Amino acid sequence: MSLLTDDIRALVGQTRTYTAPEPFGAASGRYFGLAIGDDNPLYSDPEFARAHGLAGVTAPPTLICETNQYAGLPMDADGYAGHVWEIEAPGTRKVRGGNRYVFHRRLRPEDVVTATWSISGIEEKTNRAGQDMLVINSRAVYTDQDGGLIAENDETIILVAVGGAA
Amino acid sequence: MSAPVPAVGDVVPPLERTISLPSMIAYAGATWDWYRLHYDPAVVAAAGLPGPVVDGQVFGALLVEMVQDWLGPECFVRELSFSFRNLVFADETVRCSGTVSAVGEGEVTLDLRVDVVEPDGSTGRAAAAPATARVLLGTADGPGAA
Repeated sequence: MSLLTDDIRALVGQTRTYTAPEPFGAASGRYFGLAIGDDNPLYSDPEFARAHGLAGVTAPPTLICETNQYAGLPMDADGYAGHVWEIEAPGTRKVRGGNRYVFHRRLRPEDVVTATWSISGIEEKTNRAGQDMLVINSRAVYTDQDGGLIAENDETIILVAVGGAA
Repeated sequence: MSAPVPAVGDVVPPLERTISLPSMIAYAGATWDWYRLHYDPAVVAAAGLPGPVVDGQVFGALLVEMVQDWLGPECFVRELSFSFRNLVFADETVRCSGTVSAVGEGEVTLDLRVDVVEPDGSTGRAAAAPATARVLLGTADGPGAA
């Protein structure tokens, strides 16, 4: 039986938009830097940042792509409180494929970020082990309060059929 | 210290980081991602895994850190891509590494990867590979800042 049902196929082209309720702030970037162990002063020292051509501190680039901070969604039983696509594919397990980020400019504390997710494509494939899988390509575009482009994030999620080869 | 002038074949100074459970909890907070698999021993045990699972997006952040530490504050990571290979668990050490694959006018392209470092220092399973970055040189910000 095909994993690619009409319901799943119908998700292609759908979008979800999440706008942060407030400016990004300087603390978020500084906190993220601390969490990953990156002590780059661009995230904490405004004078250093200005000396290198920025208007002030910025955040580590990949932080903008963490959509949960804009979504305002309730925490589920697994502790997750973010954007998901409601894809019903019983008998599969989810595997993260990878990401491709394009950054257009540095994040600024005054940015009010909007994240717009869409599903750009869903393909049914068979992996080397002979298992059926769905390869879901989704895309997020991050913009500021004026609609200016800050970053893009293409993400691949793979749903692999559990329970033996096709 | 002035920024290096990269040439094809140059090796990026590697970045090693032991990813402790407290740092994973801090990362969960910083990203508003409280998914239990990243810190909850009961959920981890029920899933049959050897430890809390490191959020894969950490590897992207570490690759950016390595690149910026090398090229200095006046560079801008324009593109970054990576594919996940294996799960990494709390208290494991990863090594980010890379080489220069192309040099253009005002930019450089890097082949990158993230591997687990075994306790004896040898390279273990791949965490993220292949990975690539295109980095603008001589500017701290991107073209969208204009």
